[in-house]
Amino acid sequence: MSTIATPLAIPITPSYKQKVARSRAISEPAWIRWLLIGFALAYLALFLFMPLAAVFTEGLRKGIHAYLAALSEPDALSSIKLTFIAAAIAVPLNLVFGVAAAWAIAKFEFRGKSVLITLIDLPFAVSPVIAGLIYVLIFGLQGWFGGWLSDHDIKIIFAVPGIVLATLFVTFPFIARELIPLMQAQGKDEEEAALVLGASGWQMFWRVTLPNIKWGLMYGVVLCNARAMGEFGAVSVVSGHIRGLTNTMPLHVEILYNEYNYAAAFAVASLLALLALVTLAVKSYIEWQSARYAAQQAVDAME
Amino acid sequence: MSIEIRNVSKNFGSFSALHNVSLDVPSGELVALLGPSGCGKTTLLRIIAGLETPDSGSIGFYGEEATTRGVRERQVGFVFQHYALFRHMTVFENVAFGLRVRPKKTRPAEEEIRRRVHELLDLVQLDWLSDRYPPQLSGGQRQRIALARALAVEPKVLLLDEPFGALDAKVRKDLRRWLRRLHDELHITSVFVTHDQEEALEVADRIVVLNQGKIEQTGTPVEVYDNPATPFVFKFLGNVNVFHSRIHEGIARIGDMSIAAPGHDDAENLSALAYVRPHDVEVQREAEGASFSARIQDIHAIGPVVRLELQHLEDPDFIEVELQRERFTALGLVRGDTVYIKPRNLRLFPN
Amino acid sequence: MAKISTKHNNVLPGFTPALGFTVFYLSLIVLIPLSAAFLKTTLLTWDQFWHTVTAPRVLASYRLSFGAALIGAGINAVFGLLTAWVLTRYTFPGKKIVDALVDLPFALPTAVAGIALTAIYAPNGWMGSILEPHGIKVAFTPLGVVVALTFIGLPFVVRTVQPVLEDLEAEAEEAAASLGANRWQTFTRVILPAIGPALLTGFALAFARAVGEYGSVIFIAGNMPMISEITPLLIITKLEQYDYAGATALAVVMLVISFVLLLGINGLQWWASHRHTKGFILKEKAA
Repeated sequence: MSTIATPLAIPITPSYKQKVARSRAISEPAWIRWLLIGFALAYLALFLFMPLAAVFTEGLRKGIHAYLAALSEPDALSSIKLTFIAAAIAVPLNLVFGVAAAWAIAKFEFRGKSVLITLIDLPFAVSPVIAGLIYVLIFGLQGWFGGWLSDHDIKIIFAVPGIVLATLFVTFPFIARELIPLMQAQGKDEEEAALVLGASGWQMFWRVTLPNIKWGLMYGVVLCNARAMGEFGAVSVVSGHIRGLTNTMPLHVEILYNEYNYAAAFAVASLLALLALVTLAVKSYIEWQSARYAAQQAVDAME
Repeated sequence: MSIEIRNVSKNFGSFSALHNVSLDVPSGELVALLGPSGCGKTTLLRIIAGLETPDSGSIGFYGEEATTRGVRERQVGFVFQHYALFRHMTVFENVAFGLRVRPKKTRPAEEEIRRRVHELLDLVQLDWLSDRYPPQLSGGQRQRIALARALAVEPKVLLLDEPFGALDAKVRKDLRRWLRRLHDELHITSVFVTHDQEEALEVADRIVVLNQGKIEQTGTPVEVYDNPATPFVFKFLGNVNVFHSRIHEGIARIGDMSIAAPGHDDAENLSALAYVRPHDVEVQREAEGASFSARIQDIHAIGPVVRLELQHLEDPDFIEVELQRERFTALGLVRGDTVYIKPRNLRLFPN
Repeated sequence: MAKISTKHNNVLPGFTPALGFTVFYLSLIVLIPLSAAFLKTTLLTWDQFWHTVTAPRVLASYRLSFGAALIGAGINAVFGLLTAWVLTRYTFPGKKIVDALVDLPFALPTAVAGIALTAIYAPNGWMGSILEPHGIKVAFTPLGVVVALTFIGLPFVVRTVQPVLEDLEAEAEEAAASLGANRWQTFTRVILPAIGPALLTGFALAFARAVGEYGSVIFIAGNMPMISEITPLLIITKLEQYDYAGATALAVVMLVISFVLLLGINGLQWWASHRHTKGFILKEKAA
């Protein structure tokens, strides 16, 4: 699951282009067009639509009652709760970090900037298994602080704090990567104008900067949240798989699956799949909003 | 004096943007900072505003030291080159911004803000746009809103960075006149930056010509146009013909032609450049007094002024000449004619 | 990063706290924990380290992880380009939904993807029951690993190539056509060179992600030592046997490879955005 998810970080203000009808000289004959569309759809059907459909079909295989029972079972509920707790801590922290990092990087010049940007990307390049491992090396029984922690009866690994840390790591770059290009593109003019007009630093931030990055911020939060709730590898290493205590939803899915309780596993998985679909819908909505905004600007500028 | 700039220098890395610049802007005047791109004019404007800090030197407003004052405390109005309107706020909210961010003690009541904003929008004749968003405005409208926003905080000094730079030619001309009239009405001390000499000559009370981080000349438009202090100013403010010349004991020689060079009586075989504006060149059919011959290469006879391109017979350089149409018709010139030309007015700058 | 505070002439507030917090948080969450992995390996002698990372079972896992990642990225390069092309150039019913769903592998938890793919390709699954009679086994074989890694890398090529295709000027293609090129020639000589760097970047991103992938693979792979066991799983296995040093040694090998890939991708993107401007500037200066 080591994600280098840079394509997610493509600035969301899409280049607005007047769609011009392509002239005949540079379009393909209809049969080639449909052949290519056919191949592309076959590829997507095989790798995208079929797995998605499988999740719901398998989940409902034993009927709606079994489905609901699997979801309302205490271990399932506690895994849902833990998943939400981890995301509720990780997303706001990475949000604050993302805004701070983007502010420093996009609005100021300083030495070592490109190194800093690369370092922020680092968690995308690290295998999630390794992300979990490094916290075990620090906080685990054999780790740097292991002895001290067990003396003071503080549990991080195989407990909730470890899960939060691993989630923080794997979702670390999402919001920063979204905001940096956006804020760079916006420049400093509006902030300077606010200061000349007498605004204080906070007034400038709340009234000018934040409204301008609103959509990019939400986009980053949605993606960060999806990853935080769905993370498996990193969390799996630090969790210890204690039922009802340290299992997140993806881990609960794994346990059910390994116990050959397929219908229940797919039932919980279908919740996560729904979450993914909602994420995509919100993401598309945000893209649509900002495209509309960009289009409006372009049209108005032409008048 | 309402703005006093004393020995200001500013470097960006190894690039010297401003070098020991001193300047006084008298109260109520409209001053143009004129120069080519990279001459330091925008840097100077931003230093006055407090958006940049000078490496050395000081800025004073109305006799008060302002160098250490932050941008918020300077009470300047700044109009950005690309307007920097807040794109998520309506026109009304943009103009109201400066009033709304004041501390509670000095913030006007909502009623008062409303009144002030509409007054300003009336002033820039755009009250009917108050509910629109900046992206929905034309360039000229944005420019005027940016101005209204800057004026809302009742600045002591108004600073404009290339105010007409991003507009097309027609709008630019209208807005230029409008700004001049507005200034005559408000009499607020104003400084604007431009690279367009025509704009500076038409709008400003006083022009400051900058080049490579130094002031070349300061003066009224008439002064700088008629009496350029340096070859740079001569070249930057309009077209000019340059001739190689030698000055000897008060006489300048250009080719075979001898012209009196007052002020150079002691010169001994001094090499110099002679600068002549195209409309200061006399064209004649016959050799008469101090003149030299040239052939007509090209004629642009559109409008009241006819432009000739002449080629000096010994010199590869072209000479540009502007004639009144009556004079042109009287001479009956056609391409290929050989004529005699004589500078009516020239300036000598020894090398 | 000691000399980081060289901000000059900027009146905007908040630089020091923003950068300070950024560096602090980055160190706390990412840099210090990662350095722990490198420090831990120093407990091993070089011989022990080398022995650990070149054991036959480990070598087999490299072959599978890198080989399957390469094949998956290759499939995605070809079909991702095709998908990007179809999505930017043609219209067909449901295109918007298809476009939105391309990002599904980014949003779908990998464990869910893993069990779903396993269900499909198991001998009694939708695809498995078709392929099995022909002697093609996917689930619980290296082929299953390829399928999983293709799934998780699917959006990368599409999403890197798509914007470049959208921005491509129709004029360039029209010019090629007016000069007598047919569609295929136009594609190979005009379009492909223009999208080449993006395609390569997308390929590299898909590959880098696939190499470290864990969640979607372990369900479908069967995880048989020497045959269908990926390196990240081997790390976990060692960890579960309390062989921390061994797990860390493998992790360090993978980390180094990931860093090299990350640097390579950054370089690739830098090259893609500068390759034409450089020559242009030189020409400008000469003129």
